[in-house]
Amino acid sequence: MFMHSKRNSIKTLAAAVAAVVALGMATLPTVSQADETSCSPFTPLIKGQEDFVYVWTLGVQGIGDGSDKLVTVDVNPKSKNFGKVIASLSVGGRNEAHHLGLSDDRRYLWGGGLDSSKIFIFDIHSNPAKPKLVKTIDDFVAKSDGIVGPHTFYATPGRMIITGLSNNKDHGGVSANVIYNGKGDYIKTVPVPTTMVGGAQGDGYNYDVAINPRRNAMLSTSFTGWNNYMMDLGKMVKDPEAMKHFGNTTVMWDYKTMKPIKVFNTPGAPLEARWSWAKGDNFAVTTTALTSNIWIFDQDKQGEWQAHNVGTIGNPADIPLPVDISIGNDGKSVWINTFMDGTTRYWDFSDRYHPKEVYTKKIGSQVNMVSQSYDGKRVYFTTSLLGNWDKKGADDEQFLKMYYWDGKELKEGFSIDFYKEKLGRAHHMKFQVRDLKSLQPLRAEADAPDNVRLASLPGDGK
Amino acid sequence: MLPVSPAVNRARRLQVLGAAALLTFLSLHPGPPVRADQGGDDTTFVITPEFTPPVPGSYELMHIMRAPGGKVLDLNGKRRDLAEFTQGKVTLLSFIYSSCSDPNGCPYAYIVFHTLQNRLERDPRFAGKVQLLSLSFDPARDTPEMLRLYAGDNADAKRPVEWNFLTTASVGELLPILDDYGQDVYLEKDPDTGKWLGTFSHVLKVFLIDEHQEVREIYTTTFLMPDMVYNDIVTLLMESGFKP
Repeated sequence: MFMHSKRNSIKTLAAAVAAVVALGMATLPTVSQADETSCSPFTPLIKGQEDFVYVWTLGVQGIGDGSDKLVTVDVNPKSKNFGKVIASLSVGGRNEAHHLGLSDDRRYLWGGGLDSSKIFIFDIHSNPAKPKLVKTIDDFVAKSDGIVGPHTFYATPGRMIITGLSNNKDHGGVSANVIYNGKGDYIKTVPVPTTMVGGAQGDGYNYDVAINPRRNAMLSTSFTGWNNYMMDLGKMVKDPEAMKHFGNTTVMWDYKTMKPIKVFNTPGAPLEARWSWAKGDNFAVTTTALTSNIWIFDQDKQGEWQAHNVGTIGNPADIPLPVDISIGNDGKSVWINTFMDGTTRYWDFSDRYHPKEVYTKKIGSQVNMVSQSYDGKRVYFTTSLLGNWDKKGADDEQFLKMYYWDGKELKEGFSIDFYKEKLGRAHHMKFQVRDLKSLQPLRAEADAPDNVRLASLPGDGK
Repeated sequence: MLPVSPAVNRARRLQVLGAAALLTFLSLHPGPPVRADQGGDDTTFVITPEFTPPVPGSYELMHIMRAPGGKVLDLNGKRRDLAEFTQGKVTLLSFIYSSCSDPNGCPYAYIVFHTLQNRLERDPRFAGKVQLLSLSFDPARDTPEMLRLYAGDNADAKRPVEWNFLTTASVGELLPILDDYGQDVYLEKDPDTGKWLGTFSHVLKVFLIDEHQEVREIYTTTFLMPDMVYNDIVTLLMESGFKP
């Protein structure tokens, strides 16, 4: 009976081939190369013009209501509100607002507070122009068995990986990745290794994660614990003991099993983790905040993951403090911001083993985050690093700036002074569109047609 | 020749077009040529990963959430509770609609399910332990009659690995299920007229549910590979003493 069924299947498929030819259907949706490149590959991406930028903003005492807030900026040049704040949603209190993350369907936005360890979940699909706070998780520390400082929010199907920066035992940097489901319910805590893995000693520190589903690989980086990130920067750098407590490792994980494969020594607080999504690349990049190095990670001929120190940013002795990075959609370029001199640096990654800095521009007295549109033609910058690490006095500029990038030069599109608007310190950004149906398929799925292999399953038809 | 209703004609047409979309997807991709096996009458189309999936039992699948229930219709048009179909066996559940032609969507899920059903049925130890489930999110067009045609022999109740096809009586009864599972579905509309184009926009999600009705894995197209799913199924069965 089943063989009969299979023959029927083949007949149906044969008919289908004829239908393809007859109907002229032999086309696929356009497969494009890239994106807002820091998003999870499991999240639908905006390939065209983004309509809104959400800015997770730290409240400042004496400015506006003094609370952390999600600020919505209209960034569509065709809108009459282009370059203006159109909504501001206060969450009440100051939590050390830091990073945002989109859910796997881009309908919700998660934001964390590094001090309070609270997590705020916003509905950004019912009315993308006016987000709504739908859930506050205030028992993250208890649920996660003592993890403090929810940092990165990285969506996987039906879940959210949340990197913790610290713990409630010593408030140092040993921490874990904490996994929640899409409804905001706790699932499990996965400690960052503190043992020897793949020939190197893990330090347990954590910061960012990024996943390459094609290789079932997840890279995590490391920063510092609550004791340091809540300390005044000037005080901390003069404290030799405090300066000992920074992460010096990155970890490559088996994403499927959430088990560490290999620890790498990458001294000096490796921060943002980004994968190149260009076909065949399969390399990740990070930069170290304290040592100003650029590291890439790829597999050798035997398939083993290796780390390569491929460049130096500015003069490391000056501690320019490389912070956020943004990789180009084709993996051929990386924007690198250096906080102390307020400069963004465009690196040519055509040869990823020998990248070159080819363009710089001073964005302000300080600059932290950088986000580029899918096509790389629009680049957005914000200023705040941490509430107690931002510069003081006149150098404490707080803004969102958008620039047009033509491949040679950045030209300012608009600028919003977050102090003048009585908002606070501008930190992490995420994009959204007015019509979610306009989103393109998942990044990894868009790539899949060029990367899949076709085969017969073992045992089939036998 | 017996008269065939327009609805049935449409169902057959959609079935062919769905397969056509899949073949289009497959035919345009580089890689080793699709082969027929030695018998010459059976070809299986699957996407294989660029990595070796972890060995069954070498890892633990997360307890993601309780598998939600809801009001559904079976192929006989009988009202049932979705929870009846997600207990007692390892269940693989997908949300589909029969006229979907997105090569990364329902047609791909269909072929993966078909492949898994055949593979699992070759080992009698899986009989009665694993089931497949496809739930339509197009109740207006995917009536039980239509789904019967879409399902074909796959839904034969005598098969060792059952594949049930379900729909709902109305969108009102469907929406709570979609919300509970976190399955986003949008109507695709003409941007000028605002009229529905007859298609849906959705991210394919497939849910692996254990015999205790816990969702243990969720796949999108990126990770929906038969080898991976097979290993996950075995991993879940091993929790109950199954020896691979």
